[in-house]
Amino acid sequence: MQNAAIWRTVASMSGAAPLNDPPPSAEDAEDLGGRSRSSWFWDGARQALAGPMLVVSVSLLSVGGLARDAGFSVEIAVASTILLWAGPAQVLFFGAVAAKTSWPVIAFTISLSSVRFVPMVVSLLPIIRTKRTGLPTLLLAAHCIAVTVWAEGMRRIPLVPRDGRMAFFFGFSFVCFLGTSISTAIGFILIGELPRPLAAGLLFMTPIYFVAALTRNAKRPIDSWALVLGLAIAPLTEAFAPRGLDLLVLGVVGGTGAWLIQRALDERARS
Amino acid sequence: MTEVYDQGLWPWFVLIFFGFLPSEVWRMLSVFLARGIDESSPWLAWVRAVATALLAGVVGKLLLSPNGALATLPLWGRVGPLAIGMIAYFAIRRSIFAAIVAGEAAIIAAGYWAG
Repeated sequence: MQNAAIWRTVASMSGAAPLNDPPPSAEDAEDLGGRSRSSWFWDGARQALAGPMLVVSVSLLSVGGLARDAGFSVEIAVASTILLWAGPAQVLFFGAVAAKTSWPVIAFTISLSSVRFVPMVVSLLPIIRTKRTGLPTLLLAAHCIAVTVWAEGMRRIPLVPRDGRMAFFFGFSFVCFLGTSISTAIGFILIGELPRPLAAGLLFMTPIYFVAALTRNAKRPIDSWALVLGLAIAPLTEAFAPRGLDLLVLGVVGGTGAWLIQRALDERARS
Repeated sequence: MTEVYDQGLWPWFVLIFFGFLPSEVWRMLSVFLARGIDESSPWLAWVRAVATALLAGVVGKLLLSPNGALATLPLWGRVGPLAIGMIAYFAIRRSIFAAIVAGEAAIIAAGYWAG
């Protein structure tokens, strides 16, 4: 089975996994940095618990409230977190349902907003997978990729030995799923009872966290320029690009601009 | 089993067919797009830059045309706390946590001030 790795990962969650690093054996061809897969899984889980899980959970509190306003049950609110796994798409979905938007228009808008996952999945997946990774594992991994997991993963996963990456990634992601599922339910129950400035604070969690995390991720000029250009172009595409396509236009224009700047810098360094 | 028609399965049907599938199709498609790209590919740098710019755009959009409680704040009340958060980020050893604490404190203060 090609997708044995994921089953090993899931099976090792049941306990027996040694947390202490086993000594690296010479005949072990896998690059696990001398640790077991489950040890990397729990390392990912621990790293998520230490911060990113809290941030993403807080930012999804408001989704629970939106779902309730739109007339859905708490089960649907939590399921939307696990299935859509995209805060902005969930906000769109429940907001549009509450506004009695027609179903095809809702589906179309959601689909447009999720185009942004294409560059994220395409840039993160080659870092996580190995040659042996099977299709089911890849599809599950792609589903786990959302903004927080992407931004944190781009920084943390390259530090993990190749064969431990998928386990680390799933450990990290599953903890985020768990935290956000709980916070979506809490938001469903609590929202409406919060003073407005605090509710604004909850919604502000996403912007401040993204900008700080992307700044932290920036290693080369291309990363900083992509961030700066993205922010700078936002008012322009907001005003001029066709509704729904504005983010896509922004991403391609800003990203290509940053890429060209990096290329010019590289060429100048070479000559 | 009449409640199945009123409530039971209908919300699930709606969530899966008008929410989950239209969104998920892009992730699934990306798995195939990612096939030919390895970690050292020059394309990866471009794709990564596009993803970063896109995310920055998401932030810009959230602050420029906010909804819910954020919309009750004036523009300075949304952009100012972002700047304050980032000043804290750089002042305190490039700490994401510091950025969040300072930015959140600023926006909550702005909320009480403006409200």
